[in-house]
Amino acid sequence: MENAQLVSLSRMKTLERHMEVIANNVANLNTNGFKAEQMLFEEYIGSNASAESFESRDQDVYFVLDTQSIGDFNEGPISQTGNPLDVAIKGDGFFAVETPAGERYTRDGSFTLDPEGRLVTHDGHPVLGDAGPILFSPGETNISITADGVISTNEGEIGRLRVVSFDDPQQLGRIGSNLFSADDLEPQAIERPQLIQNALEGANIDAVTGISDMIKVQRAYQELANIMRNQNDLRQQAISQLGTVQTA
Amino acid sequence: MRALDTAASGMRAQELNVQTVANNIANIRTNGYKKQRAEFQDLLYQDLRRVGSTSSDTGTVVPTGIQLGSGVRFAATSRVLSQGQLEQTNQPLNLAIRGDGYFEIQLPDGRTAYTRDGSFERNQNGEIVTLDGYLVGNGITIPEDAREISISADGQVEVLSGDAVTPTNVGQIDTINFINPGGLESIGNNLLLETPASGTPQTGTPGEEGLGDLLQGFVEGSNVEAVAEISDLISAQRAYELNSRVISAADEMMQAAGAITQ
Repeated sequence: MENAQLVSLSRMKTLERHMEVIANNVANLNTNGFKAEQMLFEEYIGSNASAESFESRDQDVYFVLDTQSIGDFNEGPISQTGNPLDVAIKGDGFFAVETPAGERYTRDGSFTLDPEGRLVTHDGHPVLGDAGPILFSPGETNISITADGVISTNEGEIGRLRVVSFDDPQQLGRIGSNLFSADDLEPQAIERPQLIQNALEGANIDAVTGISDMIKVQRAYQELANIMRNQNDLRQQAISQLGTVQTA
Repeated sequence: MRALDTAASGMRAQELNVQTVANNIANIRTNGYKKQRAEFQDLLYQDLRRVGSTSSDTGTVVPTGIQLGSGVRFAATSRVLSQGQLEQTNQPLNLAIRGDGYFEIQLPDGRTAYTRDGSFERNQNGEIVTLDGYLVGNGITIPEDAREISISADGQVEVLSGDAVTPTNVGQIDTINFINPGGLESIGNNLLLETPASGTPQTGTPGEEGLGDLLQGFVEGSNVEAVAEISDLISAQRAYELNSRVISAADEMMQAAGAITQ
């Protein structure tokens, strides 16, 4: 009799985590270069104490397990900002960023300069070009970034933004601050990226899908809670009725 | 349930977003004001099942793990540096910069500030000052008997004084450029300060080396567009509502869980 409750519990726990993923998507509606996450579930068969030699075989019990959260790497909407250090990537690719923990990748192209004149993210991590960080010398003005990533100023060409892609971006890890980590994945430089200067890519979240997913999760959770309550009542009744000692 | 905190971080972010939009709308008639936009970043993720961890004794690897995010945070406000609308005022000491560049302003405390607001006046000594009385550039004095002031596109200030028929040059208004003008710090009163992110100021002649030229008798309005702000406001408000819906959904889920044993 506990099985119904245990199956419900396994589903409720995955629904809670699904809700967290939806909450994170909705919270990041205005985050530059944010990629929506989705949950994937699979069933797994609970171990059965029964032997198969029983005349009628025991019914297997299927539990629910969340196995993956996959990223939706579709492009977000690109909006103009008029800031020369804002760059959006059209299509595939990530900017390479140097962090104390190693090279990381981002789709958020809202860059700025640090005191040394390096091109950095808002957290101060240098943005990498083909030959390391991109350094501007004082006095340079009129930054222009071409579609394939060549950065030049009034004093000529300075470097080229390194834009990389991955065979399977699903394997990228999310580490917050709009960064992805690649671990063992080999980044491949894109020869001809499509960059847009003075523009930023928004989050690729579809509010309607987010809210309808949320309602589905909420209703499923409430239904399961009802099932659990009914099971609980059932058991209570069973205990009190079956356990009643008949006098008279 | 962590969804509550996550959605709360989303609501906070949208509040800041609305605040930024409100400030833009409040400054829609401020000379030289540049619209700001709020930038956000996602927060840390919790790895429930790490990407690349082994999933069996034979060494199969999890291709994509489960990563639960914990919301959003405010990263920066950046200025949108497009040209504001030029408004004709016919005041001889009103200047607009058409293109890149900033006017240099001497603050009373000795620091140098920068502005795009070229609505200048004369002070009691005849010097060109901002509406707050701060010196523009190194101080250009307009003679008391000046009849006509003309400021050329490259910043030459010439006056016709007394009975003179040929104008005399009384000074030059330079403009300043930065490698990353978006990195300047706003200190209010339409003034901006140099920061490490903006780079060092580069003084130049208006109209040369990428600097915009000057227009006398005009001021540059803000680059805030009412329609764009209203649509930003609506989307921020809707995003706020969405996040609050997530909170109430998470709350109802917890209620349902609590009601199991009632």
